[in-house]
Amino acid sequence: MTASPHLLPATALRDALLANREQALTRLYRRAFPAVRRYVRGHGGSAEDAQDVFQDALVILYEQATGGRLVLTASASTYLVSICRNRWQHELRRRARLPQDALPDDPEQLNAETPDASEEAGPAVLDYVERLGAKCKSILLAFYYFQQPLTQIAADHDYRSVRSATVQKFKCLERLRNSVRRAFHAETIDS
Amino acid sequence: MRPELERLQLIEQHLLNGPAALPAGDWNLRLLLDGELAADTATQQRLYQGLRRAGRQQLRQELRSIHARLYRGRWAWLRRLWSM
Repeated sequence: MTASPHLLPATALRDALLANREQALTRLYRRAFPAVRRYVRGHGGSAEDAQDVFQDALVILYEQATGGRLVLTASASTYLVSICRNRWQHELRRRARLPQDALPDDPEQLNAETPDASEEAGPAVLDYVERLGAKCKSILLAFYYFQQPLTQIAADHDYRSVRSATVQKFKCLERLRNSVRRAFHAETIDS
Repeated sequence: MRPELERLQLIEQHLLNGPAALPAGDWNLRLLLDGELAADTATQQRLYQGLRRAGRQQLRQELRSIHARLYRGRWAWLRRLWSM
């Protein structure tokens, strides 16, 4: 029997997220979301606002946990609620200044960082990620975003060895790079 | 691996600070000797940024599915009661 992720220290939470992301996120969701919804609705927000704020917080938690940057001094649920309270207070102040705007949909606005010039090219690359075959997209996202170990990626995608999965990962990365390059050259010629 | 894939791996180790990343001096020497290495490295960095955005999109979609399953399903009222 696995421990519930809301009670786990950061390293165990990371392991739970990597072993079965859907199960770990569902447990966190079930445990923490009701408190966030009560807080947001009690402070001038809607159920949809609560959902947006909570999902932003889970993305932040996921990236911190799998990136080894998470330090928990309380349960993961308490940490999530704390992120959501801060983000909702920040959102309320923002809406007071710009009352016509709702929460941003763009996940890049999760962090209050100014995107640099190279990040402005992100949407173009994003389009080509979507055009990769399902298997290549799955392998690349599993490794580069979801931070899954190559042993797990090899098993999930029916490769006999980590070596085979590694080679396939680089073939997929090469395919993505070539698509982006071709598009860039075509744009350069057209302009 | 083919030499083209080895090159992607070399750049990846440098960008992601992997265990097989070249020491700074060796990397700088490669930059001097290989006129395309800087541009290829910049391109690969853009790929990683695009993959990060795509990953976030997928995670958000997964979270929307979890939300729908927990709170819009047939037994959602029971789950809400249980989680209070």
